[in-house]
Amino acid sequence: MTRDVGSALLVLVGAAILRIAAGDTYLRYVKESMRPWLLTAGAILVLLGLLALVDVWRSVRAEARAHAAGDDGERDHGADPFDDGHGHGSRLPRAAWLLVLPVAALFVVPPPALGAFTAERQQSTTVAPAVGVAPPPLPSGAVVPLTLNDFASRAVWDDGRTLQGRTVTLTGFASAAPGGGWYLTRLALTCCAADATVTKITVKGASFAPTTNQWVTVVGHWVPGGGTQSETAIPWVSAQSMTREAAPKDPYE
Amino acid sequence: MTTHAPAPTPAPDKGWRPGGVEALVVVLLVLLLGQHWLSGLFTSPAWQAGATIFVSIVVQATPFLVLGVVLSGLIAAYVPPEFFARVLPKHPALAVPVAGVAGVCIPGCECASVPVAGGLMARGVAPAAALAFLLSSPAINPVVIVSTFIAFPNNHVMALARFVASLATAVIMGWLWLRFGRGEWLRVPNRDHLVGSSRFETFRRTAGHDFLHAGGFLVIGGLTSAVLNVVVPQSWLQAVADRPVISVVALAGLAVVLSICSEADAFVAASLGQFSLTARLAFLVVGPMVDIKLFALQAGTFGRAFASRFAPTTFVVGVVVASIVGLWLL
Repeated sequence: MTRDVGSALLVLVGAAILRIAAGDTYLRYVKESMRPWLLTAGAILVLLGLLALVDVWRSVRAEARAHAAGDDGERDHGADPFDDGHGHGSRLPRAAWLLVLPVAALFVVPPPALGAFTAERQQSTTVAPAVGVAPPPLPSGAVVPLTLNDFASRAVWDDGRTLQGRTVTLTGFASAAPGGGWYLTRLALTCCAADATVTKITVKGASFAPTTNQWVTVVGHWVPGGGTQSETAIPWVSAQSMTREAAPKDPYE
Repeated sequence: MTTHAPAPTPAPDKGWRPGGVEALVVVLLVLLLGQHWLSGLFTSPAWQAGATIFVSIVVQATPFLVLGVVLSGLIAAYVPPEFFARVLPKHPALAVPVAGVAGVCIPGCECASVPVAGGLMARGVAPAAALAFLLSSPAINPVVIVSTFIAFPNNHVMALARFVASLATAVIMGWLWLRFGRGEWLRVPNRDHLVGSSRFETFRRTAGHDFLHAGGFLVIGGLTSAVLNVVVPQSWLQAVADRPVISVVALAGLAVVLSICSEADAFVAASLGQFSLTARLAFLVVGPMVDIKLFALQAGTFGRAFASRFAPTTFVVGVVVASIVGLWLL
């Protein structure tokens, strides 16, 4: 790869990162807390690339002058470990061309957020909280919105004590349950989509069966029956009402 | 991007051959014009999930890689070579553990440590010591240890076990390299051609060069990991969860396949509740030192001859050390 292409790629990769971090697209791939780092990294790359392009432009002009003086710029770089044997300006490995792939993906068709396909391949996991630490009581209010993971953690590891007699709102998408039916589902990220973990909840008394990947909000209350004290237990919620929703800005918990 | 000639008078390329830039423009035009057609091709859920995971790995790694190349640029431009000769013990066998412990200093993940280790070698640090640093820094830095502490609320000793096992593996690998490693396997990054007319110029050239060098290999690693993530059924894992020896190797293998960031892997390990703590320790020790993404980065920076010897050895040493530390502490 020549350095002019390399410099252009630096600018493009930086611009692609800036583009997704400027809007909400980055939330499909990483946590919201990564945003300032993405913006910083994107800006640094664009800057490095632009300055390198200036270098290229200068050396092209210098070459024009050197050419007149009879120096064709032949240099010995036989000992250079980065030379991939493609002659002048080829100090970068051809693999650097592959950076076109993420640039293309981010500029042309940014892949969608993970959904039912990923959820159906994984077991629902609710990690045990610290032993002896009871979850705090739910905030007051007639209807309390909860994350699926918070609901599951209270239901599975505290036997639903803090959920008893309370009405909650849960928002997630539908993923297929083995043997028919569906789960209310939400994925959670720690760093990026490669480390997604899944929480699933069985909806009892559902007024309709949403299609796979359809987002729904369920208003209902916890009922025992989903199993407790197990990381893979899938708790139950008894639905009072259900509504279809558009996918939220941040699809992960 | 880079110039060949020693500064301060950068000699030019042969000029604008039809090739590089023109090819890049054509590729981008095809992508842009074929946008509709391309998006129609990738509609199966498996394709889309794979694409999302690939893009996520690259997007998530970019800030850390930028941090790494900025640090390696700073080392090249602002840290005199005598500095490392002064602070590290003269004898390489002693420099290895010192460099291993120094890994605490860089709060990044494995993507940042590869260019930094390359920069250290280019600055004359003994390869064995730089390699110990390469392995230890993504595993024992404060961010990683604190996130491990948080991820295992009922087994706080896990954070300690991770620190001990990772540092031990890194130092053992450094010593092994010192005893058995051969100079010709390792391609020490040469940065002489990146020296500019000012410190800032050297800095930005080194940083840009290192990013392009590692970036392509990061893409290879991300692609491989995404494919395996989508193709390998998770049910294979459940099958081995209750077999003590196989489960340790299986989770270490999973760490290699998943290529997740060392700042996040503790939470994934915590969710693998059906496995023993020792198996999960192996996951945490091996992950930051050997994974597909990292293998690609190492091959790109230090050469394939190096990576194909170093990574499998690190895997074996990591699994053995994690098993011993697991039996002792967990």
